Amino acid sequence: MTPFIDPWWLPVIFAGLMGLSILLYVILDGYDLGVGMLTRLEKDENRDLMVASIGPFWDANETWLVLGIGLLLVAFPVAHGLILTQLYLPVVLMLIALILRGVSFEFRAKAAPEHKQRWDHAFFAGSLLTALCQGYMLGAYVLGFDQSFAAVLFCLLAALGLVAGYVFVGACWLIYKVEGDLQKRAVRWAEVSLWATALAMAIISIATPLLSQRIFDRWFRLPEIIALLPIPIAAATLFVGLAIFLRRPLRARDELSWVPLATAGILFALGFVGIAYSFYPYLIADRLDIWQAAASPESLSIILIGALFVLPVILGYSILSHWIFRGKATHLSYE
Amino acid sequence: MDGLDPLILARIQFAANISFHILFPTITIALGWALLGFKLAYNRTKDEAWMDAYRLWVKVFALSFAMGVVSGITMSFQFGTNWPGYMEKVGNVAGPLLAYEVLTAFFLEAVFLGIMLFGFSRVPNWVHTLATLLVAGGTTLSAFWIIVLNSWMQTPVGYEIRDGVVHATDWWAIIFNPSMPYRLTHMLIASALTVAFLIAGMSAWRWLKDGGGEGVRRTLKAAVYAAALLIPVQIFVGDMHGLNTLEHQPQKIAAMEANWETRSHVPLVLFAIPDEKARTNHLEVAVPSGASLILKHEAAGVVPGLNDYPGNHPPVGPLFWGFRVMVGIGVLMLALSWLAAWTIRRRGVDAMPRWLARALVAMTFSGWVATLAGWYVTEIGRQPWLVTGVLKTADAVGPVGSAMVASSLTLYLAVYAVLLTAYIAVLYRLARLGKAAPEGKPMFPLPGVAEGPAEPQSEAPA
Repeated sequence: MTPFIDPWWLPVIFAGLMGLSILLYVILDGYDLGVGMLTRLEKDENRDLMVASIGPFWDANETWLVLGIGLLLVAFPVAHGLILTQLYLPVVLMLIALILRGVSFEFRAKAAPEHKQRWDHAFFAGSLLTALCQGYMLGAYVLGFDQSFAAVLFCLLAALGLVAGYVFVGACWLIYKVEGDLQKRAVRWAEVSLWATALAMAIISIATPLLSQRIFDRWFRLPEIIALLPIPIAAATLFVGLAIFLRRPLRARDELSWVPLATAGILFALGFVGIAYSFYPYLIADRLDIWQAAASPESLSIILIGALFVLPVILGYSILSHWIFRGKATHLSYE
Repeated sequence: MDGLDPLILARIQFAANISFHILFPTITIALGWALLGFKLAYNRTKDEAWMDAYRLWVKVFALSFAMGVVSGITMSFQFGTNWPGYMEKVGNVAGPLLAYEVLTAFFLEAVFLGIMLFGFSRVPNWVHTLATLLVAGGTTLSAFWIIVLNSWMQTPVGYEIRDGVVHATDWWAIIFNPSMPYRLTHMLIASALTVAFLIAGMSAWRWLKDGGGEGVRRTLKAAVYAAALLIPVQIFVGDMHGLNTLEHQPQKIAAMEANWETRSHVPLVLFAIPDEKARTNHLEVAVPSGASLILKHEAAGVVPGLNDYPGNHPPVGPLFWGFRVMVGIGVLMLALSWLAAWTIRRRGVDAMPRWLARALVAMTFSGWVATLAGWYVTEIGRQPWLVTGVLKTADAVGPVGSAMVASSLTLYLAVYAVLLTAYIAVLYRLARLGKAAPEGKPMFPLPGVAEGPAEPQSEAPA
């Protein structure tokens, strides 16, 4: 089978699809991991409501991770091996955490009531550990898998940073999905985690160009710097704007309760664009680019046919399910 | 620890993960079709007993599907963490096949699973039936792609090697590689038998407890009949699969039969302790010329022996025993399902002797054991190759050290032990509560649907 488009473009398309999957994953699973971590702060009724608010979505949200990593595996097999052997321990811990979290969701409702609390613990721990591991991996990836003491310290900071980020978007999700006292508390959680997230994003944004001459040149060079300046400015404006917004009481009918969530999504996207711009076209900083890592054009074009068919459906379904279950969360029932 | 350890540990870890994972697809593949059967029976008869059965087993399906998804995520990462050489070498063939498997699974999950699980009262009945059909078809299609890849690794064709990397030359040949049709059929029927004995076993358990309801009797009877019909087919297909293996991977058959020398009149070894150092069997109990008869259909048939493949054949013990466990369970399944089917046909479910029901309960998870044993035979039987003649297992393993792999392996095993226990406990809980639910009102919710106004529930929402 011959490729139906210029083979040069295939790795670019797959890098784009993979990037899109990862960004959607970080935002979507980000809010339900954040809610998972926040469940620790509430009890009984409220905790059930928080879990119910992510009930219809978390499973589909997680599929974006499988899709992202699956695309890395099938489209860039060499990079998949190199990256994952470097990240062995955090990957294993994250997988265990994801398993725990995923099944506690099922078990906390289906197992005997006296075991429910145990599965609640597993749900919280799984959410927290997943976020920590992903943050650590992000740090390690940005540093090109440097193993020095300072690098490990940076990775641990990144781990905490992503926890803050997920808690932030999780709190914004709750502002949108719940009402009353719980919503008020969610606003407070969002206020606190907002600044932690801003700090973490600032640290990573400053560290990345300092660590690589190539990335430094990409950012701080005329005329690029002028074109790029809007990214950090927009991020800073959104952070400050949202902080001001959160201080004001939500209107009685809270028609604007979606604003924090949307803002958080845009902030994540801005951060992602920054990292993607720094790295492109490299999959591993300065060592392996997307053309070196790609599978053969014949294989890529076969995968692309399937992907072009299925991706819009998954995307459409994701939008549809968020539309169907829009509005305030209620306790779950089925039939 | 010596130099071999990371390889062995990585192999054990992969085996542990894939063994745990395969338990759940083995159930969902056939359970999807069983649910379609219940649904069609309900459509035809409008008998609520069939819908009771559907509501109970769709929960088992949902739980098994979730377990399959989370354990499947682990698999897709392990290719990279432990076996980077695999995708580097054969990624051009394995990549598209894996991609289609994942895409099929997602397509399903995204679109039809939700309707099948939660949509009974939200969509027209025919849409719900159609969703059930598509989910059943989709899980089977997912299995198809994975079996294609596995079979290609056993009997690779349709490729060429350029610059040390495999490139696909003929996708048709890759997909319909020589061992694929046999392995696929064998696995699909294995799934059906696993589910038949699972449903029969759990229904018998419920029947022993308090008689269950009409739904329990229906499913018990249907499952026993299905098992009785399928097991002879499976034995026939297994035999064909064996003959196919003899043609393409003779050393695997030699190890399964513990036959050391290529010769005629090879006996069928019933029991032995194979000794790879001395290259002989101890304490052998055998049927004269039995293996020649089975494999060549004549007593004088020449069957290849292990000594023709020095250093290039799989370990003998695991294959020899794995094969006997699988066949042994198959024989038990045949005896029990025929006896139970005969009894039920003559006297009805309620006149079944209690010991027979207890025997069905004892065999509830027998399909899992036989399926795992069979997969061990075929996967260990491919060693020392990862992709026969193309890539050795030892050349695909990653640079991760023993200590690291040992710790991750321990973690995985601990988690899997807990989850398997919880899974089985919840299955019995579902079976116990299933019939206690008032008509059309399931006892506990599944994650996936929020609907108001919510009524107060003692059970927590998911």
